[in-house]
Amino acid sequence: MSAADCVRVTTVVAADPAAAFELFTSEVDAWWRRGPRFRHGGMRPSTMRFEGGEGGRLLEVYTDAAGGAFEIGRVRVWKPADRLVFEWRGNNFPPGLLTEVEVRFEPAAGGATRVTLEHRGWDRVPLDHPARHGYGASQAFVSMIGLHWADQLAALRARAKTGGAR
Amino acid sequence: MSRRARAAAPAVEETFAALADPTRLRVVELLSERPRRAGELSAAFGASAPAMSRHLRVLRASGLVEEERVDDDARVRVYKLRREPFDALSLWLRELESFWSDQLDAFGAHVAKRRAERGR
Repeated sequence: MSAADCVRVTTVVAADPAAAFELFTSEVDAWWRRGPRFRHGGMRPSTMRFEGGEGGRLLEVYTDAAGGAFEIGRVRVWKPADRLVFEWRGNNFPPGLLTEVEVRFEPAAGGATRVTLEHRGWDRVPLDHPARHGYGASQAFVSMIGLHWADQLAALRARAKTGGAR
Repeated sequence: MSRRARAAAPAVEETFAALADPTRLRVVELLSERPRRAGELSAAFGASAPAMSRHLRVLRASGLVEEERVDDDARVRVYKLRREPFDALSLWLRELESFWSDQLDAFGAHVAKRRAERGR
């Protein structure tokens, strides 16, 4: 399940880990892309904001007349220059489905930082709602992903048997 | 979206919703091994036929399973998984990966810009 239950992307940025962490969090609105693909409010003007420290929140604050904010999730780990973990909730998630994003900042050659982001935790995040819904949705996701890979492997095996003719 | 279109490729959220029940989840797991008859499924859970039939109805309506007639006996039908929900989930994961990849690119560009400003 480990390969399928998370999405992992990585990049190298031209700053040391302390500066990279600082820019990632305190200037999140400057780099976080805009538009419906990246912001929950769609075309509504918004500002992204990290409240620092564990228990803080990642918020999408609306700057139009209607105002308000969407809370993406709470900060679980806040270790400047090293590691950041926050919860991730999409506005189309069923109740109880909560995922987790971890960002690691590691020193790289030439004073740069390797930033690795993992979106995961469908099976590992302790759900706030032990009710059926939360359990079911989370477990269902993991099972479906597992089945998907099983399905893919079965297709591969079938292909191998037929000598790749397909 | 029409019911037919939804059944062809259920949204990921609908898939979650249909599976937000331990019995239905287990049914899907059993069907991933091989197609099975409704009676077999009821027996596996010690569930009554009407109870299993309700669960199967939800799974059918959400497009996760389909009923298939067994060739040599028109009276026997088996339930099997449909491929589309798995493909939809896979696509959803790929979109998520592309989302974060674009975000990290934007972050890298922002860091480079800040550095250039300091160097000036």
